[in-house]
Amino acid sequence: MSKITLRVNGKAQSVDADGDTPLLWVLRDHLGMTGTKYGCGVAQCGACTVHLNGEAVRSCQVPLDGLAGANITTIEGLAAKGGAKLQALWHELNVPQCGYCQAGMLMAAADLLKKKPKPSDADIDEAMTNICRCGTYPRVKAAIKRAAGVAA
Amino acid sequence: MNAMRIDRRSFLVSTAVVSGGMALGITSAEGAPTVPWGPDMASGAEFSAWIEIAPDDTVTVRVPTPECGNGAMSQAAMNVAEELQCDWSKVQVAFASIRRDFDEKGSYQTGFLSFFSGHSTGKQRLKTTLQLGASARERLKAAAAARWQVPASEITAANSVLSHASGKKLRYGQVAAEAAKIVLPKEPALKPQGEWTLLGKKSPPKLNIPEIASGKAVYGLDVKLPGMVHAALMQCPVHGGKLKSHDASAVMKMPGVRAVVVIDPAKTPGSPVKAQSTFGFGDSLCQWGIAVIADHYWQAKKALAALPVEWDMGGGAKWQDAEAIYSAAKALRDKGPGRDLKKTGDIATATGKRIVDGDYGTPYAENAALEPLNTTALVTADSAEVWTNTQDMAQAFWVAVDETGLAPGKVNMHQTFMGGAFGRRGQGDDLRMAVAVAKAYPGKPVKVIWSREECFRQGRYRTPVFTKMHAVLDDTTGLPQAMTADIGYVGSRPGFHLPLGFSDQPYFNSGVIPNLHLTSSALPVNVLSGAFRAPCFNSHAFVLETFVDECAVAAGIDSLEYRLKLLASWDKSWSDCLKLAAEKSGWGQKLPKGEGIGIAISCWPVANVRKNGTVVAAAVRVAITPEGVLMVKQIDTAFDCGRVANPDAVRAQIEGATLFGLNVALNEELTVKDGAIVEGNFDEYPISHMADVPPINVHFGALSGHERLEIIGEAPVGPVQPALGNAIYSAIGKRLRRTPIRKADLSWS
Ligand code: FES
Ligand code: FES
Repeated sequence: MSKITLRVNGKAQSVDADGDTPLLWVLRDHLGMTGTKYGCGVAQCGACTVHLNGEAVRSCQVPLDGLAGANITTIEGLAAKGGAKLQALWHELNVPQCGYCQAGMLMAAADLLKKKPKPSDADIDEAMTNICRCGTYPRVKAAIKRAAGVAA
Repeated sequence: MNAMRIDRRSFLVSTAVVSGGMALGITSAEGAPTVPWGPDMASGAEFSAWIEIAPDDTVTVRVPTPECGNGAMSQAAMNVAEELQCDWSKVQVAFASIRRDFDEKGSYQTGFLSFFSGHSTGKQRLKTTLQLGASARERLKAAAAARWQVPASEITAANSVLSHASGKKLRYGQVAAEAAKIVLPKEPALKPQGEWTLLGKKSPPKLNIPEIASGKAVYGLDVKLPGMVHAALMQCPVHGGKLKSHDASAVMKMPGVRAVVVIDPAKTPGSPVKAQSTFGFGDSLCQWGIAVIADHYWQAKKALAALPVEWDMGGGAKWQDAEAIYSAAKALRDKGPGRDLKKTGDIATATGKRIVDGDYGTPYAENAALEPLNTTALVTADSAEVWTNTQDMAQAFWVAVDETGLAPGKVNMHQTFMGGAFGRRGQGDDLRMAVAVAKAYPGKPVKVIWSREECFRQGRYRTPVFTKMHAVLDDTTGLPQAMTADIGYVGSRPGFHLPLGFSDQPYFNSGVIPNLHLTSSALPVNVLSGAFRAPCFNSHAFVLETFVDECAVAAGIDSLEYRLKLLASWDKSWSDCLKLAAEKSGWGQKLPKGEGIGIAISCWPVANVRKNGTVVAAAVRVAITPEGVLMVKQIDTAFDCGRVANPDAVRAQIEGATLFGLNVALNEELTVKDGAIVEGNFDEYPISHMADVPPINVHFGALSGHERLEIIGEAPVGPVQPALGNAIYSAIGKRLRRTPIRKADLSWS
């Protein structure tokens, strides 16, 4: 067991768990923050995407014992980190179907827009490697472009 | 506002007797409701089991069909709002309670598959929800009339406000409590469709999106309960096998581990009363399994991986690979005519010289909804409470009764959001296994999670279908004089050997092919199958529309023209869909070698009745490099579901279902080794990403305007698959008779 202190959405949190526990399960089971989703556990789907020290990561691949002092933003904290516009566009453009992938999609999209405020189609294709089984890709792309103010 | 109300409150039950009108869902119970039914109660007045209006005008619509991504709940609320004439921004939806339905003997039941019903625009469900809205509106008017001492006929209702010519106004919420007690002498007539102002006219986004986009929506996996523990589950890798031995002591000292429990199907007690499950229990039977229960899921998962387990794989282990299964199915098929699906004329009378033959196959595929299967259950000696993301609460409820053996009055169910389903969450086997685990660890809520690998290996897969086709073409017209089809289904569950998408299609029902003989046979195997986004339809569409293409080529007729000839005597909308999709795709243009357009059409759910179901035509445009790299450049779809209630919701479903079908055709195949499914995660079972997705153009111009508002989530999965194969043929002359296409060599020179 390791006792680790990290910041999640600006709040210091102390977690006492097995050191190999992935951040995904730390967030969900230990901190009760279930907005971050489990889809595959093997870095394939992106449903678990969060921002770790400002970078999008797949939280199912990040063990707790490397996280002392880390700064994490999850979907629950995205609005406060400038994501409110994206979230509003997700609503306006009726992006989600079942919605299960969308926390990860939003976290990946916010990361992309931070790095490339005016992404090209190719940039979006390259950055957005999350799986959506419902097939919302055209709308995710449209919402990212709208947020960036680039032509659809 | 505009929220999806989540069921958080613990669920109190009462045997309160309700007035007769309630069973129709029209009038309210006598007096104010005292029973918080499942969803959190607001302070509002209940107009029926379906509708509650709060003093602040919030309208809550409780819907028995849970949201799975298709907008079913928002659609039901739109229906109510159309007649209620309320402010849409004040509408929210909540999950209806199956326990309430049971205790009140059917408060939510209407039409086909009555609780679940499936489709918010289905004829009966639409009528019921419109009537509920109209009734509530007239009762609000009657309450205002009583206050103002004016005739109700002088009152208008709009945007959640009641108005009188004298200038008096009241908000709905101000009179809701009085209105809820009013019983109308007669139910009001519904508006004619032509006067609708919301349905078909506006496209509000789904009501639950703000919750989804902020991470607050509670899916099954997100349920949190005091004292909850977590379980990781493993069932016998070969379906139908048994647990031989295990050594719990090897993991009991691992961190957090509380128990190792064995699931033995013989311990299913069965329902103590005659069950009213939607589909029966045959497809939800308990499997042998073992689960580790721990404080946290990660601990449970690690301990399960470390647990020494030995299985008796059983008879299913004889299938060394999937091809062995498929060969056996084909061999059975070749033994002579099986079950007759359709027989017309006499195939021996055909005299044409051009013969077309083809043998087609579609393999096992997994639904792969993104939320892994899971359910949380709390079982005690005399009660059970279950939180689940089922597609059909009526099925789930009775599975829980069956697996606990408790009287239905002792079982409570809570619906959650679901992260996709595509047929996988309909039968309740996921819930049954969870209840079986929780039963072995009584008194604590146990969240049972199937890992992604467990979901892949314990699926209820698409039925593999292997179909041999044969046609004799008329020497003059080139159309088939005779056609035979012999379908080999794989899997022992007859519920999933459905000829829909095949023998019901107009080619076989319009009389255009005078001599027909369609047969099927089935090979029972251990590998379990189930519903996969329109059961069997998606396979049949691939077969039939590829074969029609082959007939067109053999006849030397453009394949669009050929279909138009075959469909000339059927509903015009079929031809309209084909022509529109073709035109928009650039059909008829001269394309460079390596590029091609393919087209296909199909209809779900039932196509042998005119003006029925949803017809979808898809035109797919591809480019293939000489090395065989395939690029799907564009997809155009045209459809007819009669009319649409929410145009953008329909567009979203067609986009998503088209991409689903495209992925099925391109990528999806499960393989078998010694009776067990091999693939365990998305690295072995590719799902398209953003970069793989072509522009999808959805064209509304072929809508017939017929009064039906048919379902749209399934039909587009079918035609895109043969359209893709036909496009590849057109581009490089290679005919693909088996999916997935990624395994075919598409190189050319
Ligand atoms: S759960 Fe982490 S990538 Fe899928
Ligand atoms: S919206 Fe369902 S998986 Fe993306």
